Amino acid sequence: MVFSSILFLFIYLPVVLAVYYIVPSRWRNLWLFVVNLVFYGWGEPVYILLMVFSICLNYVSGLLIGKYVLTDRKKARLVLVINTVLNLAMLFFFKYFDLVARTLSAIPGVRIPTLGLSLPIGISFYTFQTMSYPIDVYRGDSYVQKNFIKFGTFVALFPQLIAGPIVRYKDIARQLDERHESLDQFANGVQRFIVGLAKKVLIANNVGMLWDVYANASPAQLTFVGAWLAAVAFSLQIYFDFSGYSDMAIGLGKMLGFDFLENFNYPYISRSVTEFWRRWHMSLSTWFRDYVYIPLGGSRKGLPRQLINLLIVWSLTGLWHGASWTFLFWGLYYAFFLILEKMFLLKWLDKHKVIGHIYTLLVAISGWVIFQQTSVSQTLVFFRAMYGFGQAGFCAGRDLYYLAGFGLLLAAAIFASLPAGRTLFARLPEKLRSAAVPALIALVLVISTAYLVDSTYNPFLYFRF
Amino acid sequence: MKKTCQIVAIAVFLLFIGGFFVLNIAMPDREFSQQENKYLQMLPEFSFKALFSGKYTKDFEDYTTEQFAFRDAWITMKARCELLSGKKENNGAYYCGDTILPDFDDPGKEEIDRRVDYVNALAEKVDTPVYFGLIPGSTEINASLLPKNAPADSQQTVLDWAYSRSRADANVDLQSALGAHKNEYIFYRTDHHWTSLGAYYGYTALCESMGLTPTSLSAYDRQTVSEDFCGTTWSSSGFTWVEPDTIETFVPDDGSVTVLDLEKDPPQEGPLYVTSFLDVKDKYSMFLGGNSALRSIETGHDGPSLLIVRDSYADSLVPFLLEHFSRIDLVDLRYYRGSLAGYIGENGFDSVLVLYSVPNFTTDQNLFLLSM
Repeated sequence: MVFSSILFLFIYLPVVLAVYYIVPSRWRNLWLFVVNLVFYGWGEPVYILLMVFSICLNYVSGLLIGKYVLTDRKKARLVLVINTVLNLAMLFFFKYFDLVARTLSAIPGVRIPTLGLSLPIGISFYTFQTMSYPIDVYRGDSYVQKNFIKFGTFVALFPQLIAGPIVRYKDIARQLDERHESLDQFANGVQRFIVGLAKKVLIANNVGMLWDVYANASPAQLTFVGAWLAAVAFSLQIYFDFSGYSDMAIGLGKMLGFDFLENFNYPYISRSVTEFWRRWHMSLSTWFRDYVYIPLGGSRKGLPRQLINLLIVWSLTGLWHGASWTFLFWGLYYAFFLILEKMFLLKWLDKHKVIGHIYTLLVAISGWVIFQQTSVSQTLVFFRAMYGFGQAGFCAGRDLYYLAGFGLLLAAAIFASLPAGRTLFARLPEKLRSAAVPALIALVLVISTAYLVDSTYNPFLYFRF
Repeated sequence: MKKTCQIVAIAVFLLFIGGFFVLNIAMPDREFSQQENKYLQMLPEFSFKALFSGKYTKDFEDYTTEQFAFRDAWITMKARCELLSGKKENNGAYYCGDTILPDFDDPGKEEIDRRVDYVNALAEKVDTPVYFGLIPGSTEINASLLPKNAPADSQQTVLDWAYSRSRADANVDLQSALGAHKNEYIFYRTDHHWTSLGAYYGYTALCESMGLTPTSLSAYDRQTVSEDFCGTTWSSSGFTWVEPDTIETFVPDDGSVTVLDLEKDPPQEGPLYVTSFLDVKDKYSMFLGGNSALRSIETGHDGPSLLIVRDSYADSLVPFLLEHFSRIDLVDLRYYRGSLAGYIGENGFDSVLVLYSVPNFTTDQNLFLLSM
């Protein structure tokens, strides 16, 4: 199930909220546990078993580690290693097996059949999230959760289950035991959810169509303007899609009394790639920092070791985004700029702020082209058009058509990716804001509903004849 | 944020999602949507088999969307929002004031060659003369109405290329006949078909190819049979505020014509105009009664016989052809699964017309049956 659907907005959410607030608070975790599984199993009911297995595995590991951590460190460590291996094996099996099988099969004489399993939704998110718990217990950063339902609620918590933010156990441990839902928090949650809904349904889905128009263009069709239009459109789409989803997750969390950490902080205003990754998908960067980079020694073991650590972390970050070597390349692409910045570029960029902005945007936008194109040849078609003028020249009639049709939306999206809107809104007189908030909520709900109802609008036409 | 503002914000949100939750349960489900001309998803029946195959959840999700309260109004609103945001199209159709034009994609020369080769194969296979006609669509004829720089490809290019590769006995010059009258009401504004007037100009082009003398326009008794025809592009675009079209007939159905639907077993006899279609959304189907694998028409006139390999444009053309032929058969390759050459041989047709609109010719997946 996804948030931006009629089913979620008008059936699942009203029922979940109504029952949640009707039942006494001691039953609320159980209710969440049940509806989380419904949410998760909606697309692939069989994978509920996978989810339950994952919950049991990490729950038991947590108990064992908690039991031994102070008395028998070795045993605790053994459990932790086994648990981590099992978690990663599950992720590998469902997500990467086919990639490895295909790659090895390219070697003459080797033939490994692919499995063609459908990817359990959110497995990359919840595996990371769940794994963090036994590690935190082992490190003494977190207490053991003895209540199975509470732990299960954490793992499958529907707001952030399928697209983050990646919530570490230690960050919401206390909220699982005791949370105080309040009017203030609920109202904030509603606002946050609506912001996310608008980002996803009104901006991301629509600018995405612009990318689709150009994505498969032949070199003879793709102009300079067209390529940039498409690349900017996708950069906006992925930001609004992803951050919109995070906003909805954070908003839903608040409605249920949870406070999740932020996941995005206006990444496109960054002045360096280093800063960009501090503002983009922050929960993922934090996870890799805490559970991979720092354990590997981070920057404490000399420069060569630090560079190797960076390469490891960014290879993994790339592959985390998808089971394809394209993503590995995309991760290393970022490692290249990050290392460059660590060595000397960052200091120079500090003094040349405008250049910093331009450079960061170029790296990010070009990076998204690598990220989204499935073939290297099509990526090159885009880069040639973006940087070397493609065969099709500077601009064509259809570019002007799409510029005219999407111009307003693109301008609005660019504005919305800057903090200026929020700043300006905060400066409005209190009274105006008080009136505007409910009106904006209603407006976003109405227009989003129109777009969502239309999304299955697929009339049967005697059109074909 | 002040407390009252918070309460109002929460109330707006909860009333909206809760209100539609209740409304959707309270309002009866519609089986059929006139606006979309399709059957809507009804509440799926639960079974564990359907659940684990994923079919149940998918159907249920379609159900929630297709039975959403005031669905038609939401769809129109989305179309309006698209136009307000500066776009000139919605769901693959261009908004051109009082006219809605479907988009067109040129499939490329190779693909056209592949398709024309099927026509050529038929022409080689049968001794009967084969006429090949491509009808430029509404978007081509009304290209001047398209939004500026609209990326609809030229159908004329496709047509010219196809004719240059055709080895049929004659290519019917429909584009000149229609182009010469492009300011007249020859295409519906809300549908992709040609009007009866458009079909008449198509008929004159065909007469020229076949060496027949067309009846002059003024000799017909024009009758308006519907003034509220909302066609396919009206449905697909969501531009439901565009004024409906008028349907006319030129040739009266005097009962001397016998239309046999051979798809049915036993064959079913029907009229030239099935007027019951005028009461439903799909009004264009009043011409001969819509799609069928095979129809055979005894015209009641003297003359040779003709087989038309059709798309639906042919249905409104047929009335004009009646007086020139004794028998006209219409075969639809989407449904007909026999040997075409065999059927032509068995029935000894005097001529064959392969007649398609350019958009259908470039997309139909059954043209290979021409060569069977």
